[in-house]
Amino acid sequence: MPDLAIDTQQLVKQYGDTIAVAGLDLKVAQTTIYALLGPNGAGKTTTINMLITLIPPTSGRALVGGYDVVTQAAHVRQCIGVTFQDIVLDPGLKGREILDIHGRLYRMGAAQRRQQIDLLVQLVQLEEAIDRPVKTYSGGMKRRLELARGLLTGPQVLFLDEPTQGLDPQNRASIWQYIRQLNQEQGLTVLLTTHDMEEAETLAQTVGILDHGQMVVEGTPATLVAALGADVIRLRGNGHDEGIQLSLQQLAFVERIEPGGEAGLWHLFVDDSSRRLADIITIATTNGFHIEAISVAQPSLGDVFLHHTGRALRDP
Amino acid sequence: MVYATYVIWSKHMTKFFRSAEQVIGLAVQSVLWVLLFGVGMSGFIGTVEGFDYMSFMLPGIIALGALGGAVGGGLILLEERLHGVTRGYLVAPIPRLSILLATAWSTVTKSLFQALLMLIVGLLMGAHLVVQPLGWLVAVVLMICFALGFSGMALAMAAQSRSIMGYHGMIFLFNLPLLFASNALYPLAALPGWMQTVVLFNPTTYFIDTVRMLVFGIPPTLPMALSVGVLLLFALAGIGLAFLSFRQSLRA
Repeated sequence: MPDLAIDTQQLVKQYGDTIAVAGLDLKVAQTTIYALLGPNGAGKTTTINMLITLIPPTSGRALVGGYDVVTQAAHVRQCIGVTFQDIVLDPGLKGREILDIHGRLYRMGAAQRRQQIDLLVQLVQLEEAIDRPVKTYSGGMKRRLELARGLLTGPQVLFLDEPTQGLDPQNRASIWQYIRQLNQEQGLTVLLTTHDMEEAETLAQTVGILDHGQMVVEGTPATLVAALGADVIRLRGNGHDEGIQLSLQQLAFVERIEPGGEAGLWHLFVDDSSRRLADIITIATTNGFHIEAISVAQPSLGDVFLHHTGRALRDP
Repeated sequence: MVYATYVIWSKHMTKFFRSAEQVIGLAVQSVLWVLLFGVGMSGFIGTVEGFDYMSFMLPGIIALGALGGAVGGGLILLEERLHGVTRGYLVAPIPRLSILLATAWSTVTKSLFQALLMLIVGLLMGAHLVVQPLGWLVAVVLMICFALGFSGMALAMAAQSRSIMGYHGMIFLFNLPLLFASNALYPLAALPGWMQTVVLFNPTTYFIDTVRMLVFGIPPTLPMALSVGVLLLFALAGIGLAFLSFRQSLRA
């Protein structure tokens, strides 16, 4: 087995004049959970679709489980599990039938199917519902069934495109728990895309931020956050924006100032926020900036994202 | 490939038999066509070239049923594409062709049920069967070819359509126009020359002509070998076209 579960070199996908993925080098080590973050249209889903052999790359190369997604697509398909961004289930079929048909398409034997289905149904806690038609399921149950389907064939690499989008916190937490459990117990490699910083922070060992089809920054959540500076002060108000920016910039303890993604909101990265708060308030006020709110926080992955893409995560 | 086709086909059939409205709809539709159209026309026309009109037109009604079935088969593919179910097949280690073959076969299976039902109603309404089991068998094979060919064409369109409305717009031909542009309702010889030419480009004509002979003993107007050849080619062409169209749609 290769060291890298996913390995792309200068991967490009172009639709007419639009470049969805622009020379991406994505390396995902075996047995890691890797989260691809990015604003809408950054190329996350396009990248996944190339890796799962759904669409061919325009140029460049991609290996999954050591197999080329173009020339060895059949091998790739055999060793991956996928859940798509939107729910893809036949509403008229029962949960168990959906899993069983899936197992048959992958040529699993009857005994093996039965055993795996029982095991996974237990894992995703669908014992009660599995013999009911899928149209009676809630959104969270459907997602859990899809996760079970993605895992049924014992994949080496699991692709999850926005796995918890639209789920309530309880379902979200349980899906995170299943994924982590499988990763720890069976060494499953997971590539997931998400909009949700908390998801990336809780689940992923490595995070890559994608923008305009390129990797902007990559690392563990902790190193990415640490690279931003010690503390962040969020300052909201109105007044002479350029003036306040200039005068604050001149302070020695302010590492940098960044717009906070909406009008009147500024992020100040400082060495020690609790000692500097008073100074900042004074300077802002004397410069005619009316402060509405001010808060102090440890930088989060959300700040990392904003820093590198210039956009808040939910921006269109 | 055969196994993957079988798995997807059996899924389509499970879904079909589980949906009461689909099963009853297909049955009622078949009975109504034969009853209303067949009985009405036979009462009006009586006999064609010495044969009762019910026997004469029953192959045509069966063909119409298969055409409607092909449209429905295309819809299944279209719906699976639009809902993303197809993507699930595409990332599975199965040949692309099996996705199409399964849909075409489930269409053919339904068409065969429908044909049987129409035949029974037709016989009750006065059609006259000739007893020649071998001929019936050949008729079933031709029926399969005919249904496969049109399913293939419908699938080719469904693979390209972006919406159900768009699909219906492209597929409107697959119904009465194809029936009227054939020998389904009138003997070939009764048509003016230009229309005979049009009719000979329609595979429906060859199907009806041969089935009339094999099942009802009405002398064919076209050489049987030609009809069989045309229908076999048509089946291959339909599936081939569907495959090319489907593969092209995946390149996007």
